[in-house]
Amino acid sequence: MATKDISPQNPMIDPETGEQRVIAPGHTFRSITEKLTRIVLTPHTPLGWFFGFTLAGSIAMMLLVAVTWLFLKGTGIWGITMPVAWGFAIINFVWWIGIGHAGTLISAILLLFKQKWRNSINRFAEAMTLFAVVCAAMFPVIHTGRPWLAIYWLFPYPNTMNYWPQFRSPLMWDVFAVSTYATISVVFWYIGMIPDLGTMRDRAKSKFGRFIYGQMALGWRGSARHWMRYETASLLLAGLATPLVLSVHTVISFDFAVAIMPGWHTTIFPPYFVAGAIYSGFAMVLTLAIPIRKFYHLEDLITLRHLDNCGKVMLATGFIVAYGYMTDIAYAWYSADKWEFFMAWNRIFGPMGWSYWILIFSNIAFPLTTLWSRRLRQNVVYLFIVSLIVNTGMWFERFVIVVTSLTRDYLPSSWGTYRATRWDYMTFVGTMGLFTALFFLFIRLLPMIPMSEIRQILPGAKINEAELQHKGGD
Amino acid sequence: MEYGNHAHQLPTDLGAPAPVLRWRFRAMSATAIFAVLSGIDLLISHRFDYVLRGWLMGLMICLSFCIGGLALLMVQWVTGGKWGLLLRRPLEAMSRTLPLVFLMFLPIAIFAKRLYIWARVTDPQAALHAGLIDAMQAHAIAYKRPYLNVEGFWIRGVAYFIIFGIFVYFLNRWSLQRDFDTQHGNRFWQKRFENLSGPGLVVYSLVLTGMCVDWVMSLDPTWFSSMFGFMFIVSQGYAALALAILMVLALAQYEPIQSIFRVTEQHDLGKLLFAFVMLNIYMAFSQYLIIWSGNLPNEIRWYMDRITGGWGPIAGLDFLFHWVLPFFLLLSRDLKRNKRRLATVCCIMLFARFWDTWWLIAPNFSGDSRNLHFSFGMLQYIFVPAAMVALWMAYYFTTLRTRGLVALNDPHLPEILEPEHAHA
Repeated sequence: MATKDISPQNPMIDPETGEQRVIAPGHTFRSITEKLTRIVLTPHTPLGWFFGFTLAGSIAMMLLVAVTWLFLKGTGIWGITMPVAWGFAIINFVWWIGIGHAGTLISAILLLFKQKWRNSINRFAEAMTLFAVVCAAMFPVIHTGRPWLAIYWLFPYPNTMNYWPQFRSPLMWDVFAVSTYATISVVFWYIGMIPDLGTMRDRAKSKFGRFIYGQMALGWRGSARHWMRYETASLLLAGLATPLVLSVHTVISFDFAVAIMPGWHTTIFPPYFVAGAIYSGFAMVLTLAIPIRKFYHLEDLITLRHLDNCGKVMLATGFIVAYGYMTDIAYAWYSADKWEFFMAWNRIFGPMGWSYWILIFSNIAFPLTTLWSRRLRQNVVYLFIVSLIVNTGMWFERFVIVVTSLTRDYLPSSWGTYRATRWDYMTFVGTMGLFTALFFLFIRLLPMIPMSEIRQILPGAKINEAELQHKGGD
Repeated sequence: MEYGNHAHQLPTDLGAPAPVLRWRFRAMSATAIFAVLSGIDLLISHRFDYVLRGWLMGLMICLSFCIGGLALLMVQWVTGGKWGLLLRRPLEAMSRTLPLVFLMFLPIAIFAKRLYIWARVTDPQAALHAGLIDAMQAHAIAYKRPYLNVEGFWIRGVAYFIIFGIFVYFLNRWSLQRDFDTQHGNRFWQKRFENLSGPGLVVYSLVLTGMCVDWVMSLDPTWFSSMFGFMFIVSQGYAALALAILMVLALAQYEPIQSIFRVTEQHDLGKLLFAFVMLNIYMAFSQYLIIWSGNLPNEIRWYMDRITGGWGPIAGLDFLFHWVLPFFLLLSRDLKRNKRRLATVCCIMLFARFWDTWWLIAPNFSGDSRNLHFSFGMLQYIFVPAAMVALWMAYYFTTLRTRGLVALNDPHLPEILEPEHAHA
């Protein structure tokens, strides 16, 4: 947007910087608290919430049906076959775990970078992380076919047969990476919520509400000592969570890259997987934030500044992803390895080439040509559409990596194809229902925007030097 | 510009302080000393090849400072932040050394046939039958001929510098114009810099990837790694940031940097340095793990060349200098806030870049791969890069003196002139 397009009368524009404001002007500590606690403590649940939760819950039922049938019949109900022994389960796992990364990046890395704009969106982005990890973690467990035995196969424990998992396998590293990630994310999310839970306890009208929020608030009184410990814990957890943003998807990229399959064994995978994860994660943040701010009238707290910044992060990470695609093809040729080159050719022009072109359109051609525009980055409808397109594209990226690579490897005699079954689709769509249902519960039961952190960036939280001098406090 | 009651005032003279002249003289002296040492060594060893190899090492280090400085400059324009204001002029001066780096590139292009086996071997099959190369090399050279040829090397090399030159020119020109501009507001300039720097970073990543493939990766035509370009990008940030911080710490003893230098921003820069230390090891380890796990003959050979035959301890020390020392030192909050200690870490990191560049380049050549040994020729890996970097530094100090060290009309300036709170 050119400078002249900015209206000086627009109250959402900060006249000093010419940027969109992080919070709309006119808010006070009281107005923030009332606005956000009312969403949770109101006895009148909006009809729209019931509708959304019912719809999401119904879709989640599909997951229940599909998983029940899976446990009864085994993984033979899925479309996996030889040579595509990994199908939707691993694609969905990588896709969901990638989505979670944006939450950790917003809550941990942006905290360390002192980015105040994160305050409005970090709570629900972290919730998104947790629910995405729940959906993701389900797949490695159910794909074993007999998950009640999975613990014996996945976790190292002393046993009489002296039988251990293969520690050199990245699938084993996944177990540790994902469980560490889930643990730190839950703790970070909960610790960050304690001051707000104290507020909820104090403002809850019902006895039950006071009891539940009181228990969860762990005796928070807001004393200086409590705040000091809270800040220290937040910084320490942010420090612990930051490497996890890189490590989890890196380990997942190793699932593919340490194998010597053409198309999988490439060193660009770790950074390109991490960038892809953040790309899709921010897309999901937008997918969630845009309807929520509309439905709950939170446009003054989740402003166009947040949406614009999410768009910028997507642009940056999208280009890293594009760099990954480009180097993948360039090095397939430069490697002078005919199998690598064939794999690149097969991805683009082979029988499943259509999936490659979907990902190129969804991840590169559409978003990376339009996200440059500030005007579009501040257009809510466009952002919502682009977020859906990128999430679709990132799913197809994993489809191309997993399925297209496996259908045609070294021996033409072992080439095959892959066709997902209805149970594959039901399981995948069902996890979307589960994710959305969990999210509906979250926004109904807990403060989705951190009140305590929003208060810190209000003008009232700033020290007024003149006033201090007047009082002799200099 | 309105400053707070307790704000520092900028001095009237914003130019580089007098000691910069002294530093430049020292750098020029070091250039002369190392050039003479290199000449003596050449007379003793009669190995001009080693001069060229040392020259390539020097080129890659000077390129890191110059282009890495340009990249960090673009990053600070895109991301904002007060640290950018502190580093801006030192980074701009680093980017303006591009003409010198281009001159340094010319001998590499002129003597490409003495450095690169693909340029030397015109008929891979004949060379294979003569026992000059092995089958894997013959296949790679023949296959990659459309890309790895001397004409392409020249054309691409010149194109890389022209492309970077455009960004260096505009970013430096506009920055100076902004200092004295009273017509346009901050918004105008911010958009202008963002609009150039955003696409600039995309172009930078692509061009740098081409550069590192052409100049370093192709030393071994059989070697390939799709992460190599990315690793170079990170290592350039690692080197350029360490040098820029070192410069700012040195300049902070004098005006005008003294007025805008606060411990808060120093701490932030220390954290940024730490991020690069982590990113660098992340890339290096990921590449190693993937290739070690695959254990394919056309990939593992590159590592075997530089971890066996005496190169193992060199790789171990590379790990020590590159990651272990800076990582554990930069964990300390007090260290990041102490000028002298932070400067020491920056020196260790710069030394690590020298060490790593040697480890990347030297084992590519037959006779030295899997066979680390002393020879007078090997000393050129010290003398030539040291002379080149010293020359680069002398030129850098000259460019540093050509404009004020504090960028004016920056929205962060009033804030950075405020004294910091005790708890910050």
